[in-house]
Amino acid sequence: MRKIKKQKIYLLALLLPFIMFVIGFEIGPLVAMIKNSFYADDGIQVTIDQYLTIFKSEFYLQAIKNSLVISVFSAITSVIVAVIAAYSFTKFSQKIQNRLLMVTNMTSNFEGIPLSFSYIILLGNNGLFTLLFAKIGWDLFADFNLYSWTGLILVYIYFQIPLAVMLIYPSYQGIRQQWKEASSLLGGSTFSFWLRIGVPVLLPSIVGTFSILFANAMGAYATAYALVGSNYNILSLQIASLVASDVALKPQLGSALGVLLATTMIGAMWFNERMMRRVRRDLR
Amino acid sequence: MSYVTIEQVTKGYDNQLVLNNISLTLKKGEFATLLGQSGCGKSTLLRSIAGLEDVDVGRILIDGKDITDLSPRQREVGMVFQSYALFPNMNVFDNIAYGLKMKKVKNLKSKVNNMIDMVDLIGKEESYPHQLSGGQQQRVALARALVMEPKVLLLDEPLSALDAKIRKSLQKELKRIQKELDITTIFVTHDQEEAMTMSDRIFVMNKGQVVQSGSPSEIYTSPVNTFVAKFIGNYNVCNMEVFRKLVRTTELKGNEVAIRPEVLQLVSVGEDSLDLQGNWEIKGFVKDVSMAGNVLRYEVETEECAFHVDYLHHRGEMFEQGARVQILVPKKECIML
Repeated sequence: MRKIKKQKIYLLALLLPFIMFVIGFEIGPLVAMIKNSFYADDGIQVTIDQYLTIFKSEFYLQAIKNSLVISVFSAITSVIVAVIAAYSFTKFSQKIQNRLLMVTNMTSNFEGIPLSFSYIILLGNNGLFTLLFAKIGWDLFADFNLYSWTGLILVYIYFQIPLAVMLIYPSYQGIRQQWKEASSLLGGSTFSFWLRIGVPVLLPSIVGTFSILFANAMGAYATAYALVGSNYNILSLQIASLVASDVALKPQLGSALGVLLATTMIGAMWFNERMMRRVRRDLR
Repeated sequence: MSYVTIEQVTKGYDNQLVLNNISLTLKKGEFATLLGQSGCGKSTLLRSIAGLEDVDVGRILIDGKDITDLSPRQREVGMVFQSYALFPNMNVFDNIAYGLKMKKVKNLKSKVNNMIDMVDLIGKEESYPHQLSGGQQQRVALARALVMEPKVLLLDEPLSALDAKIRKSLQKELKRIQKELDITTIFVTHDQEEAMTMSDRIFVMNKGQVVQSGSPSEIYTSPVNTFVAKFIGNYNVCNMEVFRKLVRTTELKGNEVAIRPEVLQLVSVGEDSLDLQGNWEIKGFVKDVSMAGNVLRYEVETEECAFHVDYLHHRGEMFEQGARVQILVPKKECIML
């Protein structure tokens, strides 16, 4: 009995660095952020003014809205592409699948400033392809502006798709060939198999992936910063300018925006879970 | 009039024949078993009938209609898989109703409920596959296939994943349902005992060919070759030359002789009243005795080879290990191969 207790203590002691890390770098900043958001600009007076400022300001509301729209849009698009792409991966031989996964893995880590810079080189105002298309005379791309909403979406989708593929691919291994065979023997078409069995079985992983992509896009900062700077009003850029700018330093307001950002993400995940449980009643 | 006809079906993978010119016919309502070791082609044949595999050569007909080139959904066959293959996101009712929904059948509810009643799953309609035992899952799979009223029911080792007791009771139930619906059934198994208990007719398969077909008792008592003899009944198979030497005779023909272990008798050396008219006798000693519940199995070593002798486990009839005995071999029970 005593021996078991001792062993437990040792095991807990081994967890200590991890616990300290979580407290120091995750829970600590979170608590500080929440606390900070309830202080006035002077950092002394306790108030909810920061939140009132945000909800009264069209500017900040627009930032929240823009962030939500770009995140939802890029996450949905990427999930749809990834569901199809990951399925087509499974149709190749194991060797090619491994190669494809390697490429996907690499590209999923390609984001932030290097990614924006690559896009600027290729599709910016003086980008390689922009100039090439202009020379050839393709006016299809004449209206395209990388430093705009479309450009931003394009770059977001670019870094979201490989991540989505990586996350959804493994769940295709859970789709059993015999389900397809049983379905076809019972008179089901390929479409009805995917509609009634395949997609519902994949759903938890699709929903989980969507949540991660959504959070990923909401929090993306460097990519957007490098590409549009302050030309485009999104939440992560506003928070950054409030806590790190040299013009208007308002860490308390930044914290309040940060709390809202975190709440939105948690809200989105909760909503996703709820929706999924409605469709997959067996998982209750 | 045959209901299912398989004509010269041949199929190969990578230069290897999996099905080698197979022909067989089944009557309506018959319970037929494809029996063989793994890799003998029995499952491939079943899957070809279902349309899940293409055949290279040959034709498959059900009820006079050539279904060789039809897709699985057009064949009107039902299939039950070894691993059940239930749809995990649907409850029992929806799993069984799936096919009817696909067919847009009316009064679906009563049909599904009848089926649930038949497989004895009342009260489990709302349960999901992961909440059911293996036996219950297999009943759902069976109901899901049967509710479509298929012309032929295909069963691909449906009981192999279940434990012995549930297996026995499901065997009986399967047989009952099959008789009740009078549905032509093709059952695949590697278990000869299961094949014997369930089937009207057994097709023993080896290396992509049907090596023998017949009723269970025909197959058991008259195997046509060494493979069937060894596979189906633990026969003692002995080289003919060796056997002639053992029984000191020259009158026997053939390459090998097969004798069932339960027709042999053991007597102590020196015991009188031997019926030498109908029996041969071979001297030997008991090398090993093993007990399988109701059966005692003696391994008797003779000059040339060993014989297995099976006895029902009566009390007080045991020969000790090392005992010198004579094996009585009934002449009429020797099968020349």
